[in-house]
Amino acid sequence: MRFIFRRLAHAVLLLLAISFLSFALLQLTPGDFFDGLRLNPEISQQTIEGLRAQYGLDRPLPVRYERWVAALLHGQLGFSLAYKSPVGPLLRERAWNTLVLTGTATLLSWLIAIPIGVWSAAAKGKWPDRISGVATSTLLTIPDLLLFLLLLLLAVRTGWFPSGGMVSAAGDANAGLWATAFDIAQHLVLPAAGLALVALPALVRHIRSSMIEVLASPFIRAARAHGISRMRILFRYALPVAANPLISLFGLSIAGMLSASALAEVVLSWPGLGPLLLESVLARDVYVVAGTVMVAAVFLIGGNLLADLLLFAVDPRIRTDS
Amino acid sequence: MRSFPRFAAALLYVAAAVLCAASVVRADGLTGPPGASSTANEEDFLVTNNHPGHEGGQIVVALRSEPKTLNPVLATDISSRDVIRCLTADLIHINRGTLKTEPSLAESWKLSPDGRVYTLKLRRGVRFSDGQPFTADDVVFSFHVYLDPKVNAPQRDLLIVGGKPIGVEKIDEDTVRFTLAEPYAAAERLFDSVAMLPRHLLENEYNAGKFDQVWPLTTTPAQFAGLGPFRLKEYVPGVRIVLERNPYYWKEDRAGTRLPYLDRVVFLFVDSEDAQVIRFQSGDTDVLSRFNAEDFRVLQQTAATRHYRLYDLGPGLEFNFLFFNLNDLSSRGLPEIAAKQAWFRDVRFRQAVSAAVDREAIVRLVYGGRATPIWGPVTPGDKLWTDDKIPHPARSLDSARQLLKSAGFSWNGAGALIDPHGKPVEFSILTTSSNVQRSKIATLIQDDLSQLGMNVHVVPLEFRAVVDRLLNTHNYEAAVMGLANGDTDPNPEMNVWLSSGSTHLWHPGQQKPATAWEAEIDRLMEQQLVTMNYAKRKELYDRVQEILYRQMPLICLVSPDVLAGAKDNVADFHPAILDPYALWNVEQLYVR
Amino acid sequence: MKRRRKLWITLGFLAAFHLAVLFAGFFAPYNFATQNREFPFAPPTRVHFVDAQGNFRLRPFVYGLQNDSSALSGFTTDFGRVYPIHFLASGARYEVAGIFSSSLHLFEVDSPGRIFLLGSDGYGRDQLSRFLYGGQLSLLAGLLAAALSVGIGIAIGALAGFYGGWIDDVLMRGAELFLALPWLYLLLAVRSALPLHVSEWQVFLLLICAIGLIGWSRPGRLIRGAVLSAKERNFVVAARGFGASNLFLLRRHVLPQTYGIILTQLALLAPQYILAEVTLTFLGLGVGEPMPSWGSLFAPLQQYAVLVSDWWMFIPAVILVPVFLAYYSAADTLQERLKSVAL
Repeated sequence: MRFIFRRLAHAVLLLLAISFLSFALLQLTPGDFFDGLRLNPEISQQTIEGLRAQYGLDRPLPVRYERWVAALLHGQLGFSLAYKSPVGPLLRERAWNTLVLTGTATLLSWLIAIPIGVWSAAAKGKWPDRISGVATSTLLTIPDLLLFLLLLLLAVRTGWFPSGGMVSAAGDANAGLWATAFDIAQHLVLPAAGLALVALPALVRHIRSSMIEVLASPFIRAARAHGISRMRILFRYALPVAANPLISLFGLSIAGMLSASALAEVVLSWPGLGPLLLESVLARDVYVVAGTVMVAAVFLIGGNLLADLLLFAVDPRIRTDS
Repeated sequence: MRSFPRFAAALLYVAAAVLCAASVVRADGLTGPPGASSTANEEDFLVTNNHPGHEGGQIVVALRSEPKTLNPVLATDISSRDVIRCLTADLIHINRGTLKTEPSLAESWKLSPDGRVYTLKLRRGVRFSDGQPFTADDVVFSFHVYLDPKVNAPQRDLLIVGGKPIGVEKIDEDTVRFTLAEPYAAAERLFDSVAMLPRHLLENEYNAGKFDQVWPLTTTPAQFAGLGPFRLKEYVPGVRIVLERNPYYWKEDRAGTRLPYLDRVVFLFVDSEDAQVIRFQSGDTDVLSRFNAEDFRVLQQTAATRHYRLYDLGPGLEFNFLFFNLNDLSSRGLPEIAAKQAWFRDVRFRQAVSAAVDREAIVRLVYGGRATPIWGPVTPGDKLWTDDKIPHPARSLDSARQLLKSAGFSWNGAGALIDPHGKPVEFSILTTSSNVQRSKIATLIQDDLSQLGMNVHVVPLEFRAVVDRLLNTHNYEAAVMGLANGDTDPNPEMNVWLSSGSTHLWHPGQQKPATAWEAEIDRLMEQQLVTMNYAKRKELYDRVQEILYRQMPLICLVSPDVLAGAKDNVADFHPAILDPYALWNVEQLYVR
Repeated sequence: MKRRRKLWITLGFLAAFHLAVLFAGFFAPYNFATQNREFPFAPPTRVHFVDAQGNFRLRPFVYGLQNDSSALSGFTTDFGRVYPIHFLASGARYEVAGIFSSSLHLFEVDSPGRIFLLGSDGYGRDQLSRFLYGGQLSLLAGLLAAALSVGIGIAIGALAGFYGGWIDDVLMRGAELFLALPWLYLLLAVRSALPLHVSEWQVFLLLICAIGLIGWSRPGRLIRGAVLSAKERNFVVAARGFGASNLFLLRRHVLPQTYGIILTQLALLAPQYILAEVTLTFLGLGVGEPMPSWGSLFAPLQQYAVLVSDWWMFIPAVILVPVFLAYYSAADTLQERLKSVAL
């Protein structure tokens, strides 16, 4: 229990530090939200100054940060300058969309990676292992951006997949729940497949190497000598033992997934946190940025925490350590 | 997890509503007819002159980004304004097809002989989209909000004439009088896009000082009411906003059908220009505007097979230009840039740069031929105001060299241009990195000028960083930028040409004019503002254009063509060169 | 033996590629900045041996290119004009690594003929030349940045994993902080603090620092994990029992076990970092035009028109796949060799 409390306390401190640094960094960047209006000859300097004062941008950084934290304690994430509305509801849908995408992609990549990784470990040095080795390293060397662009090109050229977005044009608004879910699933295919492909090689390699290590250990040899079936040895005995390093990999892969997902969302126009963050950073929409960063950080820290807790539950050595 | 069923429930609700609508002959029967038939007769319809279409259907349009707000007073971004234009109406409107003003909610207006008092007669029997009547009180309230300094409406500055806000008073239920502090040319154009607000919905919030929180995107249809052809139906964050026919709309066609024809307009949020083009090409959206010539070329290849038409309207009002930093940097601590200003301030240097720039290459390589080279700041698209006497000299490195020589520049052994003090000419051109076209223009200019022996660097920065350097820190040497006029009239551009203007880009906000020619422009611009006669105004504005051509504070480069596209089955689609290019006549569009 | 041969082939390929980049001036037919405004987005020039009359020519040649707006690509081949390819001919002057200059090129065609083996970009600049010159900056910057972030990762990961306790907590939370921060902001801020025009050397250093300093947290965490498991190994525990100092343990027994991860991370990060430059260029932190870099070569692919109609703009990206693959395979092979040495 103490371990969990300590980690939670750390997480809160970390979130505070992240939010403060986001604010401080924004202070250093040139231009603010209302500078976007400066090139419009129809709007005077006085109006822009008035807007700045109205939204509190003329106040010093510590005051603004303090206000933001105070609002946060009341469960509010601040006010978007661009959207003229509270940040919370704005983020909720976006975060959900990102979660749908990254969740699907994570599931997909692990579902594919485990059998391939186990299989190539079992057939170490033989042709299935070689093929998976070449395939994964080739995938590794294809830049993420290029991969997403190729997927987009595929969609545009073949018309097999929707070429972006999360739902079809609104004609389908009168479709039922299942039709809607199917529609979303169709749009999900390309970005989720792309993300899974990005994550796959590292997963396969890690699973393979930890399986190889486990398969070489005496208890597996003993099990084999007992005549237990190959499949049973691989998935029932070896895989759970190999899971330990894989769990921390899981925590880490969330960070990678989030950053890759931002790119995929932008290229394939998935309405998640990535495009929102990019747009609001460029527009200097402070509170939306801070909010998005916080949500991403919560995902990230949450993932790591989850991994640590799982490890804690699985591995008795760590339990005695702390 | 929680939001999914809720979302699905909303969809089911929509499904039910649409099914109901289908069973009613006219969709405006859905929410009850606008009063009994006797009151309907009192409606003072505006009868449009289009070829009658038929009702039903929808069009899908992509927006570059999610709209930010539905508040017409505070919206500044293109996406919000595009949506709001479908939801609201103004008193006097600029017809995007003819570029002339025409009656809108005001069925007529009178101008007093001294040019200061406008008396507007409102259309009778007009109702907001929630069924409430529209009266002179709404007009007074709306202008009150726009002019309130605490609201900081971006359009407020246009409504301040001669340093004083326009005076608004109600004469009777359907007459409103506007008083200007001094005569103002073409003042009726100011009424365009000033959306009329429903006093009955917004007065309380306005009085409570919360007008900035009025009508965010999350507004429910019941909280919203406007006078536009459509009204709010549904908003799905990050995905789309759906508008439905306003059953109380105040226009009808010659056949007596109440407009609009379309049942719905759907705005999808599609993040980038490229993605918009993709969605249009794959048939997801029906109408496309604001895209570049390269994409036009791609779209042309599938126009026949995918059943859409493309339009090239020729030069619009937007133009790109190069300019040098002519600010007074004495107190800025930028000695290096200040030293280079000796070149920039020499008009022969600027003329030499203009002569050396290959405008035809920009037209060909950046715009695939879909642009027009320009030498003055009023584009050929602005037919009423462009000055035909501005010369169109061909690119000439020789005349550029002559000009530089006469200004005391020379060339060293390696071919580099050196100034009279022996310093090599080297400077940077700032551009916005998000604008591919302008970055390309800068790269071409760099190569052009290297042929004169100038060592030019291209510095692409992100938009707000550019604005910060141009207008706040003045830490730049030259820049390639663009301006898009909101109107064909010169008045909204006053701030660009007046030396005291905040968008007088090369040297904004001067206390008193730094040069004689800027003083002359100030005088001419002020004079045209109070001149009522078009021919006389044109004469004054021509002189401004000629001074600008001689002095070259902006080296005008090209004006890109306005491009648009629509599916074959979208009828009565007439894109215009004035914003909003495509949907300005959305109430007349119909699906074949 | 077979593995060894594979390693040599890989290393040989990498060496050849890097030499081509280093001596870009020699292998590239044109200067990277030379614009041919008549030939924007020209497809790759085809090299011919057999002419229109069906005669075989020993000296390969190319045909002239003509603007033709009716053709899909905008160009047609002018079979009437033949330009033979001259090998080891002299052309535009260039410098190699700023040390010596020459005008000798591997191949050339006489003007007004043009040879664009990888096509041309939107300004009619030769993509092959830009690819080779661009590598000079991108390769070195990518490798050095990867080395920098892996270096920081080693220091922090080793400290955290080996000492554990509060040091581990602080460092790992620090790593999470680094992962979560909106770096775009910092980069915008850095750019505004810099002078208007940033010279190529400054850009180079900046790229390395910006990318290298931001990216350490991932390798850091991985190395920490490896250290954590390495220090529990029996022989390490035994060595500690014999009274070995911490520093000795780290250097002699623990770190060698992370070499595999370090090499893999280097090979993985370098390609990513080479491409990270696309983003930085957008923020004004990359090299400005007309200097080429691989990042700026890929940037046009993000435009739809280029993506669908100018397929040759993909070639540089495609060439990089085997190069990165070679890096990766070399790292893999080395890793296995190290393992066999260590055990």
